[in-house]
Amino acid sequence: MGIQVKNLVKSFEDKKVIDDISFNVDDGKILSIVGFSGSGKSTVLKLISGLIEKDSGDIITSGGDIAMVFQYSALFDSLNVFDNISFALHERKDLRGKYTQKELEKIVAEKLEMVGLSGIENKFPSELSGGMQKRVSFARAIVTEPKIILYDEPTAGLDPISSTLIEDYIVRLKNETNAASIVVTHQMSTIRRTSDSVLMLYNGKVVFEGTPDDLCAEKTDYTRQFVNATIEGPMKINV
Amino acid sequence: MKILYKATYTYKLFRLLYEQCESFITTLGEITYYCVEFFKELKNFNTSFHEIIEQCARFGFSSLPITLSIVGMTSIIVAMQIAGEMVKQGGGNFVGMLMAILTVREEGAIMSGFAIISMIGSSLASEIATMKVTEQLDAIKVLKVNPVNYLFTPRVIAGTLMMPLVVIVASLVGIAGGALASNITSELSYKAYFDSVWSGLSMHDLNVCILKSISFGFAISLISCACGMNAKDGAKGVGIATTKAVVWSFVSIVIIDLIFAAAFFY
Repeated sequence: MGIQVKNLVKSFEDKKVIDDISFNVDDGKILSIVGFSGSGKSTVLKLISGLIEKDSGDIITSGGDIAMVFQYSALFDSLNVFDNISFALHERKDLRGKYTQKELEKIVAEKLEMVGLSGIENKFPSELSGGMQKRVSFARAIVTEPKIILYDEPTAGLDPISSTLIEDYIVRLKNETNAASIVVTHQMSTIRRTSDSVLMLYNGKVVFEGTPDDLCAEKTDYTRQFVNATIEGPMKINV
Repeated sequence: MKILYKATYTYKLFRLLYEQCESFITTLGEITYYCVEFFKELKNFNTSFHEIIEQCARFGFSSLPITLSIVGMTSIIVAMQIAGEMVKQGGGNFVGMLMAILTVREEGAIMSGFAIISMIGSSLASEIATMKVTEQLDAIKVLKVNPVNYLFTPRVIAGTLMMPLVVIVASLVGIAGGALASNITSELSYKAYFDSVWSGLSMHDLNVCILKSISFGFAISLISCACGMNAKDGAKGVGIATTKAVVWSFVSIVIIDLIFAAAFFY
């Protein structure tokens, strides 16, 4: 079942940021949400993860945990990599005392291996590169075996090679966890390499829904403007 | 038809007043909310002993040098000014008593409070505010961990436990500082000073001092954490949250002090 979003609406003060949007993401599939800055992409993720309350509409999920990978990793800088990854396992009310120290060490080692960073348990976030921090935040996100993974601009601020690596890990995590995933991104490479479907938002409304190939085919004015990154077109931005 | 009003100075003044009142009420509401949340979360208390000790060390030991310096120097300044006059007027035997009452009832607690706010309150607020603006608090929430339980509990418990200890040590240093200053400036003997100290102090004073410092510790740590939790808008927001924490903590301990003075010594 994954995620079903129906007629979702969210306003901040008088401004409607999300205006009646609907979409589905099945288990084991990745949806990319694209659009210009301020189009409401990250707000959709915050609504699904429960960080903010919706005004109306429905968000139906298949149950289980929802994980989120933040734009700038959001690792706890006072904790080392081991404590960051095992955080939920020893701080969450329903998981407290469930795992012994040995089991925690094994789980953390497994998750770090999944993101290709074995043996860095004792390092602090400040000792890691941006790409490594991002991968540690992937490991932290999947530690509770979530059914839904949300990525907020996972390749922002990374060099092209690191971006490719991160994109590979997004696909790998999807294959290994069979989670329904949503990736908010601006980058065409991320869309092409990771997504099964694409949703384009503009002023909180869905202006395109289709596959990455449909997006690249530039069938509408919106997709043409986005793919060619031109100022002229139906989408006006205030910068 | 749209009516346009000219923004006169009177309008701007009232607008500023309105914004200040709104900010005051909002902050008061936020602090009250987090106070209620803190007590609600106490039943899910899960903080490790190690974490409590770490926060106690931060609250107590790291702030001790500056706290003792401030309380000690204030006592020396006061004693320098009153000891000479009192000895001249034949009241030398009451200098110790006066300094003890002043230090234990008032100066030890309030000056320690100011020092703790400056050092620890501001650091608590900026630490949590930085976590807020870098989405670390959002990450805690998404991982289904209650941020009030995780962040407030060890800090507020440490603040409440350590403040009385800091105040007791600071008061002792304050009384000793008074003795030193009285001896140097007025040649008042240490024996005369300390005899007078013991005759002036009562258990009631000590109990009120401890109770007051527990209230100070609780208020400072809770307000600092609450102001940090409500930070927004990046680096500027961290600065605003820290300033707010310091100002509100200062005001709150003065109000608590006033309530204690009225309740126990009036």
